[in-house]
Amino acid sequence: MKANVFLLTPAALLGSAVAGHGVNYMNVAQAQQAIFPGKAMTAAEVKLTSEQRKEIERQGGIRQRSDTVKAWRVAGGGWFIVDEVLGKHEFITFAVGISADGSVHGIEIMEYLETYGDEVRNAKWRAQFTGKTKSAPLQLDKDIRNISGATLSSRHITDGVRRLLAIHDVALKSR
Amino acid sequence: MSANATQNIAIEIKRCRPLLGTFVEITARGGSPEMLSDAITAAFSAVEKVMALMSYHDPFSELSRVNGKAARAPVQVSEWTFRVIEQAQRLAAESDGAFDVTIAPRLASWGYLPRNPSNSRAERLARWSDVELLPGRLVHFRRPLHVDLGGIAKGFAVDRAVDALRSAGVREGLVNAGGDLRAFGDSEWPVQIRHPRDPLAGGHAFALRDSAVATSAAYFSRKRWRKCWVCPLVDGRTRLPCDDTLSVTVHAPDALLADALTKVVFALREKSAPILQRHNASALLLDCAGQCAFIAEEKSVPARA
Repeated sequence: MKANVFLLTPAALLGSAVAGHGVNYMNVAQAQQAIFPGKAMTAAEVKLTSEQRKEIERQGGIRQRSDTVKAWRVAGGGWFIVDEVLGKHEFITFAVGISADGSVHGIEIMEYLETYGDEVRNAKWRAQFTGKTKSAPLQLDKDIRNISGATLSSRHITDGVRRLLAIHDVALKSR
Repeated sequence: MSANATQNIAIEIKRCRPLLGTFVEITARGGSPEMLSDAITAAFSAVEKVMALMSYHDPFSELSRVNGKAARAPVQVSEWTFRVIEQAQRLAAESDGAFDVTIAPRLASWGYLPRNPSNSRAERLARWSDVELLPGRLVHFRRPLHVDLGGIAKGFAVDRAVDALRSAGVREGLVNAGGDLRAFGDSEWPVQIRHPRDPLAGGHAFALRDSAVATSAAYFSRKRWRKCWVCPLVDGRTRLPCDDTLSVTVHAPDALLADALTKVVFALREKSAPILQRHNASALLLDCAGQCAFIAEEKSVPARA
């Protein structure tokens, strides 16, 4: 069959315009399993002092906006941390596993929301997504999410991981 | 299709990791959740292996070793690295140098790649034909130069991820590395191409089945440099930036071809038709005004299920 592949309309396309796209990849428990398979974890209440935040900013090279850390202690050594990054075009929740020796053990993207930064920074717009991650999946997930286009850089994640390593160094490893 | 097989495909696992400087998303269907997740882990490992071999930025990569030594004496490389350079050279010959893996000094001067202290005039004059491939997987440079596989290795990484999924027994899936996608298996995957003027809004959509697609465009990467707009898409013949208002999408049998051919189409436009046809590929150009142009027709398109 000779045909123009780009004119093959996807059967699943409903014709709705997509205003950014979002995907939920995994919840906290799934991310824990993906990074530290079979390991037990204990949630840790981590509050950063202003001195610790300053030191984290110095080491990580970027602002530490929050004074709480979503961290879990891994049985047998190591830490599991969930954090978020806000880029120009994306809002991403990700998990990082840190080994007992302080090195990165694994990274998984938990939630990816691609949109214009202004919309994400708008608290009201953000609010429609908060609390939805576990019980109700984002409706955006039903839209087309296989996007072919120029690369969105993952540099923000790299910066985010560097910040989490600084948090580990300043606030977690001595606990 | 048996009821059992239908049920099997209903289980889908999708994971995403920051790799290759972008986000690599892998979807797998046809197996238990544990089996699919393990297969995806293996596919991510294949992508990491390609990075470890062919990263330009990593000073310990095999490619960096080649760049440091191959002008003095031939350097033996792994099968994967050799295959990618071989394919790159083939496309360079076919496109008369429009695709050229030695443009690194140009990209470095615009700040897209790290500068090398050895960025000499001799190196800036280097061409793809100065890279010599010898029997025994040896790479030799006829003059000092730096090879950057950024325009082709991402596609190769996607192909290796697909191999890993298949050999783990995954029935069907999709690997998407920041816009370089490859689907395998019977299902059709809806794919949307970003609009060059409004890359985050909806754009042209089509169905992808058991083949690959890649889009190149400069909408996220173009910038000012000495009063000119530059972008990382460079015509190897002239060393000038390509039109940064266009997006080029190539459909091809595998992701390496789709990835590399976007650069050929950017430089050659309509004249790329014979090259596309030779590889059973075709291209779609989108401009800022929303105009589409198609280049080349394919001998066969996978029939719809």
